[in-house]
Amino acid sequence: MRILRLIPALLLLPALSALAQTAEIAARVLDAQGKPVADAVVVAVPSDGSLRLPPRPREGVVDQVNKEFTPKVTAILVGTPVTFPNNDNVRHQVYSFSPAKRFELPLYAGVPAQPIVFDKPGVVVLGCNIHDWMVGYVYVSESPYFAKTGKDGKASLADLPTREYIVRVWHPQLEGPEESTRKTVDASPSRRVDVEWTIKLKPEVKVRRAPTAERGGRY
Amino acid sequence: MLGVGVSSPATAEWLFDVDAGGFYDSNLSNAQNQADIRDDFAAAVAGSIANFYALTGNDGLTLSIDAAGEAYHRFHGLNLLGIGASADYRHKFGLGYTAPWLRLNASASYDSYQQDLRTGSRWALVAELGQRFNDQCDAAIGGVLERRYGPNGDPLVPGIPGTVFNLQGQSAYVRGGYAVTDSLLLGARFEIRRGDVVSSTRRNFAIFEASSAIAADPTFGPDFFAYRLRGTTGTATASASWALGERSSLNLVYAGEKTRAYDDLDYRSYRISLAYAYRY
Repeated sequence: MRILRLIPALLLLPALSALAQTAEIAARVLDAQGKPVADAVVVAVPSDGSLRLPPRPREGVVDQVNKEFTPKVTAILVGTPVTFPNNDNVRHQVYSFSPAKRFELPLYAGVPAQPIVFDKPGVVVLGCNIHDWMVGYVYVSESPYFAKTGKDGKASLADLPTREYIVRVWHPQLEGPEESTRKTVDASPSRRVDVEWTIKLKPEVKVRRAPTAERGGRY
Repeated sequence: MLGVGVSSPATAEWLFDVDAGGFYDSNLSNAQNQADIRDDFAAAVAGSIANFYALTGNDGLTLSIDAAGEAYHRFHGLNLLGIGASADYRHKFGLGYTAPWLRLNASASYDSYQQDLRTGSRWALVAELGQRFNDQCDAAIGGVLERRYGPNGDPLVPGIPGTVFNLQGQSAYVRGGYAVTDSLLLGARFEIRRGDVVSSTRRNFAIFEASSAIAADPTFGPDFFAYRLRGTTGTATASASWALGERSSLNLVYAGEKTRAYDDLDYRSYRISLAYAYRY
């Protein structure tokens, strides 16, 4: 009987052992003035290249609300299907010319029937052919270990298998290539590793939504 | 422009705009001689209610009802209330914000001035071809056909009508915009117009000889006459638009104008305006 009671505990052992062998990277991203940077994507790739991708990534969603993409930056794993529901009462025509994913959703309202599968890693810039000021970004990560910073500039990559990682940061206004932000991080068991980046941001200039001095031609 | 936007289901999109501000005009009378030049400040407000239809992914139609008012500091005869309507069609030749586009605009309005001489209706047709080259730069070229109907004005001279504000003209322009930052947009525009112009001066024989219509113009004084002439006007405009948010901006515009009406008449003017614009 005692042996029978021990069986569940024995079954849990590998799981507990796996938990004990995970690590966390606590990332913090600041701009040149030392202010927290929101919407930065932090990606960790094992140095040895051993990536285990989940068989079926969860579906992503990029809303259109008040004639803007929400969220403005979406980070997903390569192979993730993403739907683009239109929650405005006006129609949108979402497109991207980015090499990582070229697509076009012809003028639509509501939810498109088919999601778009992002099958190549890279940055996909979204636009709307009706409302030129609308811009959004889908960061397609080749690694399942990624997170997006919040308003405090912080992001946590938890439950990482313990090993050495190359960690890098991307942001829509990042000056210079993403590769220039690479850092090597040794994620040891049951340990939180704090990593901080100070990145230079380009000024944000996008197609203007506010009225201009020139009358007429709203779109 | 003050605006509030509501969207009805499906395809139509309501847009409400209001512009409120003021301007200074250095030569309202379009006069050549210093003694005849009349300048003034005015408060101005303009608003529109519009419905935008995305006809296809490349075609959009905006139908609007517009209203405008101007109140002058000294020359109250120029005080104006106007109401009009316009249809604005835009076609994009492709996908993306850098795709070239064609805009066709037809507008008509009725303008009621405090001094009846200028009261009347007008229409204009605009064709514009433009392109945005990147996030920061855009440019367009365009042409305008315009007609103004001014039925008022008593004839002073037998054989010469008094309807000086019966005018027509056509113009061509080029304009461009450059976004210095996310908030500051600079603009420039150069326009050449050929057509009828009205110059108000004291009695002037040389102008009289070249005029196609003459009427008394008490707006600028009891001894002023309005003369309709054929002329060419060049206008250079520079603007700076400061976005106060996604829906509002502060706009400073300088427009310098030079008109040659015939060999002996050249007049110049400039206008500086500052307006708060709001759109929803």
